[in-house]
Order: sequence, then C-alpha cells, then structure tokens
Amino acid sequence: MAIRQAELEVKGLSLAFGGIQAIKDVSLSVHTGELVAVIGPNGAGKTSLLNCITGFYKATSGDILFNGRSITGLHTHKLTSLGIGRTFQNIELFPGMTVLQNMLLARHTRSSYNLALACLYSPSVKREEVRHHEILEEIIDFLEMQPIRKELVGSLPYGMRKRVELGRALACEPSLLVLDEPFAGMTLEEKEDMVRFLLELHDGWGQTMILVEHDMSIVMSISQRVIVLNFGEKLAEGLPEEIQDHPEVIKAYLGDTSDLGLDRPEEG
Amino acid sequence: MDREFSVKKVSPEHLDRFEGWTLPQILAYQAAHLGKDYPAIREKAYGVWKAYTWEDYLSFAKHTGLGLKALGLERHDHVGMIVNNHPEWLFTQLGAQAFGAVTLNLFTSAISSELASTLSRIQASFVLVQDQEQVDKLLEQSGNLPHVKAIIYVDPTGMRSYAGNRLLVSFRDLLDLGIKHESRHPGLFAEELSKGKVAETAHMILTSGTTGISKLAMLSHRNYSAMGRKWIDSTPVDIGGNWLSMTPPAWIVDQMWGFGVALLGGMTMNFPETPETVEADFREIGPDLLISSSRFWEDLASRIRVKIDDAGFINRTAFTLAERIGTACVDLKARQGVVPLTLRVLHALAKLLVLNPLLDRVGCSGFLSAYTGGHPISPDVIRFFRACGLNLKQCYGLTETCGIFQVQPDDEVKPETVGKALPHTEVKISQDQEVMVLSPSVFTGYYNDYEATEKTFENGWLLTGDAGYFDDDGHLVIIGRKQDIIRDKEGNAFSPDFIETRLKFSLYIKEAVTFGEGRPFITALINIDQGNAGNWAEDRMIPYTTYTDLSQRPEVEQLIVEEVNRVNAQLPQPMKIKRFILLYKLLDADDEELTRTGKVRRRFVYGLYLPMIEAMYQGLDDIRVKGKVRYRDGQVGMIETTARIITVF
Repeated sequence: MAIRQAELEVKGLSLAFGGIQAIKDVSLSVHTGELVAVIGPNGAGKTSLLNCITGFYKATSGDILFNGRSITGLHTHKLTSLGIGRTFQNIELFPGMTVLQNMLLARHTRSSYNLALACLYSPSVKREEVRHHEILEEIIDFLEMQPIRKELVGSLPYGMRKRVELGRALACEPSLLVLDEPFAGMTLEEKEDMVRFLLELHDGWGQTMILVEHDMSIVMSISQRVIVLNFGEKLAEGLPEEIQDHPEVIKAYLGDTSDLGLDRPEEG
Repeated sequence: MDREFSVKKVSPEHLDRFEGWTLPQILAYQAAHLGKDYPAIREKAYGVWKAYTWEDYLSFAKHTGLGLKALGLERHDHVGMIVNNHPEWLFTQLGAQAFGAVTLNLFTSAISSELASTLSRIQASFVLVQDQEQVDKLLEQSGNLPHVKAIIYVDPTGMRSYAGNRLLVSFRDLLDLGIKHESRHPGLFAEELSKGKVAETAHMILTSGTTGISKLAMLSHRNYSAMGRKWIDSTPVDIGGNWLSMTPPAWIVDQMWGFGVALLGGMTMNFPETPETVEADFREIGPDLLISSSRFWEDLASRIRVKIDDAGFINRTAFTLAERIGTACVDLKARQGVVPLTLRVLHALAKLLVLNPLLDRVGCSGFLSAYTGGHPISPDVIRFFRACGLNLKQCYGLTETCGIFQVQPDDEVKPETVGKALPHTEVKISQDQEVMVLSPSVFTGYYNDYEATEKTFENGWLLTGDAGYFDDDGHLVIIGRKQDIIRDKEGNAFSPDFIETRLKFSLYIKEAVTFGEGRPFITALINIDQGNAGNWAEDRMIPYTTYTDLSQRPEVEQLIVEEVNRVNAQLPQPMKIKRFILLYKLLDADDEELTRTGKVRRRFVYGLYLPMIEAMYQGLDDIRVKGKVRYRDGQVGMIETTARIITVF
C-alpha cells in the first residue's frame, strides 16, 4: 500500500467553553509516516485537541493546516474525504448493524455513484461495490476479524468493538489516523493485540497516526514522538525517553513534590 | 454449496493403474484428466471461496517442490510442516514428495522444545510453518536445529522485523524461486517425478503416544493409494464431491483423505478461513462426508443441549417432543427392525419441522454419511444424533493402517460396534483377543525403531494393540486398548474407557480418569466442565472465583455426585465408582497429562496424582495437595489447595 501524504500543522490553537479555557495556544505538527502520542493528566485537553483536528469542535482561535490547506472549522464529513479518519474514546458504532455493514458505511465517502445508479445497480456500481468489499476484506484479514464479520456489533465484547472501530476508521482509507484512547478499558491480551495492529499499521502500511492514550507503558513503547498537555497548554514534546525523565512531566503527573511537608502545620 | 458438476466416479481401470504410482504422479495424472474442469481445492480467503483446479494444484505443488530443490532439497530428505489447514500444506507435501523427500506434520499447538526434539529426531532439512508464532518457536531453538536449511513461512503478517534472517523464506518467494528454477531446468520436475517408487515412505505421522514417547509411523505412497481405494469402492466418493478439511494435518484423518481418498477420487478439499470460522464455513460448503473424533460429536451434542436448555418454552418443548419421537424410532428399528407407520409419519414430521432446521443450524444437514472415530463414543451421543436424523456411524482405524478401515454399514448401526471391514482389508482376532489387520494400507514400520516395528507385526499381520471380538452379525467390537483392560483385586475385568466415556456424557464433566487395578473398588479423578458447571452455579447464585474454587464448592460436589450415581446405575456392580475427587485443575497437554489429540495419558496421570489416589483408598475425607501448572509461555505456576474426597453410596 502506497504511503499517503499526511502533514498536519496546528498553529496557536485555542478553545474555550464559556469561561473554561480547554486549550491555550497549542502548536504542534505531525509528519507523514509518524506515530505521535498526546498524553496528559485528566482534563488536560487531549480529547478536545483531537476534536478540533477532526472537526467536532470549532477552535476559538488558531489555525489547523492539513497538507498545506487550512482545515479549521471544516465539517467532519469534509475532513474524512480529505483523509482524516478517527476512532472514539467511547465507541461510536451502530450496535444493531453487523461488523461488515458498519465498515461499509465508512466507505460512503469513498463511493462515487448516486442513489439512482445504486438503485439500478449498474455495472459501474457493481464494480465499485466489489472494490469496496475487497478493501474491507483486506482490513478484516489484517485485524483478524473473519469470525465476527457477520456478527451484530452490539453482541460483541468491548475489546472487539474497539477493534471494529479501528477497522471502520481504516475503511475510510485515511491519510491521518486519529485515535482517541484506543487501549482504554481493554484487557491485557486485547491491548497486546491492539499494539500489534498499530505497530503493523505503522511499520507495514506506513500509516500516519496521532493518538491520545493514558497507558504510559504502551505510549512509551510504540510512539516515535510524545507531546504532553497540561491544563490546555503544551508542557513538553520529545522522544519517549526524554519525556519519561522530564521534570515538568513528572510534576504534572505526580503533583509537585518539592514542598511536601514544608508548610504542614505542627501536629500536637 | 450445490454441486456444480455432474457426479461421477473415477473409473476402476484408472484406480488400478494408480496402485503403481506415487502420490505426486497421481496428481500429475489428475491434472491432465480433470484439468480445468473440476476444482481440486477451495479456500476461503478475504471472505470469498477461491477455487484451484487440478491443473493449478499440480502447478503450485510443482513450483513448491522446485523451490525447495533450488534451496538444496535432496531425495530422502525430511521436510517438517507446522501448519493449519491451508492449501500450502497440500502443495508442500506433494511438491516435496515429487522430489523424493519425506514429509511430516507437527501440531501448531506444540511447544517450542517439543517441535525441536521431533525435528532434530528426523534431521529435517526444511520446515514449513504457518506464521510468526511458529517462526518464533523455531528461532528460539535454532541452536538445536543446525540441519534446517530454511524455514518457509506461509503468513507474512508481522514478519518484516525478521528481514535479513537468511534462514527465513516466505512461501511466495519459494514459489518464485521454483518458477525461476523451472525456467533454468525445464525437464527437472518430470525427471524427478518419474524416479519415485510406490513402496518408498511418503509421509510420517507422530503416533499419539498414550504410552510413552510418540513413535513415527512411516506411510508409503502405496499405503495412501490403497486407503483411497477402500473408500472409493465402498462409499459415495465422487469427482467434485466436497470434503471440509478441519482436523489437524498432523492427524491421520485429513492425511488419508487429502492424499488418499480426495486425490484418487477427485474430491474437492475445502479449507476454512480460520480455525474460528469453521462452523460458518462448514455450513457454506455442506460437506458430503465427515469423519471426526468422538470428542467433536460429544461437544456438538452438549452444545446443542445447552442451547436447547436456554431456548424458550415453545422451542424447548418442540425439541423434547421431536427427540422423543426420534429416539423411539431409532430404538424400535434397532430392536425389531420395523417401525410402525404412525411413528414413521411422526418422525418425518418431526424432521421437517424441528430436527432438520436444527441440523442445518449446526451445518450438518448435507451429509450423506458422518463418522465418529478415535476414542469410543458414548452410545447416548450416537443415539442422540441418529434420533435427530443424522446418519452418524462408528468407524475404526489407526495411524498404522493409514487411517480408517472399519465402518458400520448404513443400516447396521449398533451402539457398541465399529462395523465391518472396508474392501481390500482382512481383520481377525488373535488368541489373546487382539485385533489384527492385513491390508496394503498397513504401514511400513516405525522410523528408526526396528524393535517396535517387529513387535507390531506377526506374519505380515498388523497387531493393533486393541482387544476386541466379532459379534453374531460379524461386526467388530472394540473393548479397549489391550494393555488398558485391567482387573481389580477380586480379578473382575473392567475397561476404564467404558466408565469414563459414560461419565463424560454428563454436561458437567469434562474429563474423568478411573483407577482400580488390583484395588478393592474403583475410584476416579474428575474434571468439571468450567463453562457448563459455571453457568449452572451462576444460575443458582453460587459465587466462585477460579476453576479450583468452583471445583471444590459443596453444591458442585453434590451436582457431580448425582451425575456419578446416574452413570453407576448403568454399570455392573464391580465397575461402579465408589469414591472420587474433583480435580483442582484441568488435565492439559502442556502438562503432559493429555496427548496432543486429547487422550488421557493414564499411567502418567496415575503417577502424578498417586498421593490423591492413595488417599481415596485409605478412606480419608480430604487431602492437602500442591500441584504444578505449566502455562502456554512455558512458565510454571503452583497451586496449593485442599481436595475433598467424595464417597458415593
């Protein structure tokens, strides 16, 4: 599979909900073929940042460029056709539909025929449908979902649904894959499978990815670059090993330890 | 899947000629005659069934063989295969054999050291493996495998990080090598193909090794073609008929079918997408025939029963009624040979409305015949399926006979027998009740084990090691392994198998091992079935944490006591179980308690659990035990617990 160009540039992004400043002047960039992780304590603005990039939130100020083009404020469906695909922290699939149907829906933005042609099921539509199925089957094979192809999503265990969601995001053939906590709530075995898939996606398919994740050990072992957010601001950025020892990051996660016990009143 | 082709058989004249040919030579003939008209192999990949014609089959086998040759394969080399059911297995086996190599299949579930010891025993020069998992197992042992020239992997997923390892070759690259080698040496394949001799060993199979180290049974080309002939002459094996390959290639069943029956008879080998999708693929193919282990049928029966228990009132009642009608029919037919008209009409109605839809749900409605073999099956299971209208019959065979040579004829199904011998097979009973076989399909001997080979033959007859007798209708009855027929203190003979299969028909008992040799009464170690017993406990709000905990719950104990009592009621006095222990862990092949085919290694289990067994005979009420558990990754854990000793009255 050819590597798809994905240059993301976020410049001075800010987002406020009323009086709450969720993101404050954050700038970052993701280059083609990179796997970048965004980490930070609860409420640091990680998901808000992803939501701005994928068009769910409209930034208060700042600019987002994708492959040189400003995408600030564009609608999600427009972004999907530009090549930005995402998964959600809380799974957003259609539980009453099968795995295959959920994934086929994602092909909607990649289909060229209109309703009338589809009703007639013309040869060109047929060819295109076959092509859609070929792409989906490749993804199903890759994510080892053959046994659940025709299962209703609602009947699947949680970890499997997360996998289906990844499959659906891939079905959009995204240049940039945005993953919101892909490991949340998974068992150890499910996490290991997911790590395997993401690494294979990155190394084998050359997929560009930006992910938000809480599980530090996974973030540190798979990502090439880590960006740390705290209270809506970018705290640090660097290689995983640099971030691990970064004093500011340790402080943000463990609290400020320098003044422990100093201003505690005498007990008596 | 409907038959797309006119049904016909390979003619007897051709079958006669096959006797003088090696398996790859037969493939070449089939490719020339069945060519593009019939599918030889069908594989489900990327969600659709993809067919390979006989021509394709030959071409892939040829290029696989040439690829191996290019990498340095010599005649009489050994090629190991650690693969699941996929066409690459067939291509490699016949491709290597065309160049005079001998092949061997190993279980994909085997642990690293087990694989290495077998591969070094045969000094394998090439190994075909399924995926990264198997590659890792071999690389871990690569120091012990200096004779391996290349490891060929089928599935390239995750193999990028191994780039640069010169031992590893992808199957695709192997084919390319073969194509290149062909263009450089155009006549090589035909020349090598013609050098093959029918009496030479084609393949080796690890015998299950219930008694000590497993032996390697050598099977010749002639053994396979003789086995194919037996089935083609006696059963509905037609060109273009369907077989679903689902038993592991390391077993004899898919070996005898793939390289014997299907190759000679022109049947299509169908390969499921993944081991997890077998059930769905099964339905799509609707195989003509199925041979499976008794365990498969027992599992299927208990799965159906559990589902029925969970079903709504109407479905449950309908099934109970239909099953009762079916059972009445089957029983009457067995006893008197005739069934009254009213009952026949009722049975037809029950089939139409209840039983056929049920069989269709489990993918079993298309069978012309279905067979159960391996381990003796509980008569209740056979009766259950026959009552449902499935033509399930018992069969009997050994690795050493290249597969199954005894089957029950269509209208002579009796619960305790394994039927009559297939054509071209003679069976007799020795003085001390051992079953003996004479047939061209009988194997040539054990690899590098002259002594064991000598012991297995008597004047050309194969000693099966099973005790048995012929009943009044000339059906063979197998009592059990000859060395397993044991006697208690008073000298009463009993067969542990006999008791255990009956115990295991209970939903809540997964495995049972009985003891009593030279003892005053019979005792048992019982494994509860975690799924079913767990559901049972949950329904009754009985809390439990682990398998160990569940197995020692007093409520579960009471449940199993009832099950044991039910079985005891069917057994003659000396064979009744007096005391038993619910084992704190499942017997497992990784702990060497079961063979890879799932049979209990009785002696090993006896040695391992001797203190518990002694305690049962000493009349204790419980015993403190410490046991080892080996996990898949090779780590060893300890379990320490108190096991209750349960007395049955």
